[in-house]
Amino acid sequence: MLAMGTEGGKNGYVGLILVSHSASIAQGVAELVAQVAGEEVPIVAIGGAPDGSLGTDGGKVLEALREAATGHGAVVLMDLGSSVLAVRAAQGELSPTELERVVVADAPLVEGALAAGVVASTGASAHEVATAAQEARVANKL
Amino acid sequence: MPTSSERIAVLPDEVALHARPAGAFVKDAARFESSIAVAANGKSANAKSILEVLGLGATGGTELTLSASGDDAAEAVDHLATLVAQLVE
Repeated sequence: MLAMGTEGGKNGYVGLILVSHSASIAQGVAELVAQVAGEEVPIVAIGGAPDGSLGTDGGKVLEALREAATGHGAVVLMDLGSSVLAVRAAQGELSPTELERVVVADAPLVEGALAAGVVASTGASAHEVATAAQEARVANKL
Repeated sequence: MPTSSERIAVLPDEVALHARPAGAFVKDAARFESSIAVAANGKSANAKSILEVLGLGATGGTELTLSASGDDAAEAVDHLATLVAQLVE
């Protein structure tokens, strides 16, 4: 797990939690977002199974969501399959108060994280950040 | 009273409106209350949306039309026009 900036949105900005099957993907997206959005947005990148192979570590996902819920909150983006299942399972473990601060975005990981990061860097709320991420579903590239 | 304002800005020859410069542009646009559009190559984007701005595909030397509507419209287009002219890779 790679933490960029301060943890869990404690510096006043909503953070991003990126969940991928691959540690390299999660970390690479985090680096891209930091470069475009700036270093002030806290990003936690979670990728790979506990043994380092491709997969998802549900424990790390839950830990990251819990941590984010204690700060200014976070928006969660994930790639697909077991990443989505792990995030949903972790949501099931959170209290209603924690769930208000951790918003899961139904969005493409790379484009959604970029949009979310830029909006988060303006000091927007978790819901505004998640909405920006979800706009990535319809944004044209050409 | 809300006003509208428009200005043309030209990207420096060597700077495309790709990830980093576009990020700088969008972050500054988001500081204004006005709604702001940026148009180039026959396409128009919400200046506060990184994905829309990237979707313009504006390369170095491209003329950007900045238009804003709202209480701080004039300030917004002036600020963004200056920023565009000073963008670096």
